[in-house]
Amino acid sequence: MSRRDEILNKVSAIPALPASATQAIRLIQSETTGLSDIMKAIEYDVSLTADVLRLANSAYFAGPRQISSLREAGVLLGAARILQLVLASAVFPVASRPIKGYDLPANDLLDHLLAVAIGAEELGKRLRVSVPHYTFTAGLLHDIGKIVLGTFLEVDGEAIRQVAFEEQISFEAAEDRVLGINHAEVGAALLESWQLPEGIVQVVRWHHSPELAGAEALTADLVHAADMLSIECGLGVGVDGLNYRIGPDVAERLRLKATLAEQVTAAMLTELQAIRAQRRPTGGAA
Amino acid sequence: MQYTVGISEMKISSNPQDVLVTYSLGSCVGLALYDPQAKVGGLIHCMLPLSKIDEARAVQNPCMFTDTGVPLMMQALFDLGAERRRIVAKVAGAAKLLDDSNTFRIGERNHVVLRKILWKNNILIAAEDVGGTVARTMYVHLDTGATIIKSAGREYELA
Repeated sequence: MSRRDEILNKVSAIPALPASATQAIRLIQSETTGLSDIMKAIEYDVSLTADVLRLANSAYFAGPRQISSLREAGVLLGAARILQLVLASAVFPVASRPIKGYDLPANDLLDHLLAVAIGAEELGKRLRVSVPHYTFTAGLLHDIGKIVLGTFLEVDGEAIRQVAFEEQISFEAAEDRVLGINHAEVGAALLESWQLPEGIVQVVRWHHSPELAGAEALTADLVHAADMLSIECGLGVGVDGLNYRIGPDVAERLRLKATLAEQVTAAMLTELQAIRAQRRPTGGAA
Repeated sequence: MQYTVGISEMKISSNPQDVLVTYSLGSCVGLALYDPQAKVGGLIHCMLPLSKIDEARAVQNPCMFTDTGVPLMMQALFDLGAERRRIVAKVAGAAKLLDDSNTFRIGERNHVVLRKILWKNNILIAAEDVGGTVARTMYVHLDTGATIIKSAGREYELA
């Protein structure tokens, strides 16, 4: 069996999300989801509800308002937003652990995922393009393959780094060379097995090659650009360093200028710090 | 004691037992300033070159930008007794992605702005470790001003 097949086999053995989150994912796909369906799905999961409320209360989502119950959050933020927060809260526990294979300390990957989710949405807003509502979630899940490779499989990131460095290729291309598969593809395979919506799966699959994302090209461009900005400013950068390539013509396609890129970077960090303050009120390592 | 300087933060100290550290410098610039006689020093981690792109945010958090953060740290050190002519400056970061698309060349712009500000203030850069595609961690020891870089599995003094 090739290393690639071995890895894909392992993906199917990865535990599913908590039942409440799986339920939420099904609701994302349904057109007619109402608030009461969401409440029913998560109200018995106390820690999930607490996480959702904490997130909802960060300035990025709530502004200056104080939200004290799930019901209030639903009314103020809308059903689509609440679902995004449910899914975000469901990946927190696994994304906040250290990712050994990539040499990422606790919380670093989670910070990166949040930054890209916020950055992709913010970019879309400032470029005045109409982005699908799952852009936030796609950004949040884009690197979930790193958790699979770095935690469940404990691949040797250092060996991959050496190939990337010696051949001057991007890190995910070096993953392909060494493992026969890269973290974007592994992430897409996992999300497929969790039966996430096809749009999200495609954006995650092509986040390093957004020009191949077909119908999801715009969202993939936004997630890719936010990913590159976040990596540039060192958020969630482990053994892979800044060894990534900006997709050809992404800036041209998005009409993204340097000033706007910097404004989004500034917004991304500020919002991330606000969310972090909500999640870890005692401070903790940054 | 060891103090962490987050992205868009600075710390200064006059306690020779302190160590200041900033992690994960990508295209951001880390600047260590130290006066060996007064034994006061500081470390700043600036994310973006020029505050004019978002003036409101620069008011809220001047250390986010190189052009507003660096003068702030210099003034704070002068207030602690540092003297301009004695200050030793060390710089790390300003890394880049593999491809140099102009839109994403934040590291290079950070570095240019930082050099200009230091030059205007008659402060020479004693040592620097910048560019490339690696992330860097930077430590400053307040007893001697020794500045240590950890990057891609290596550790070395910036001197």
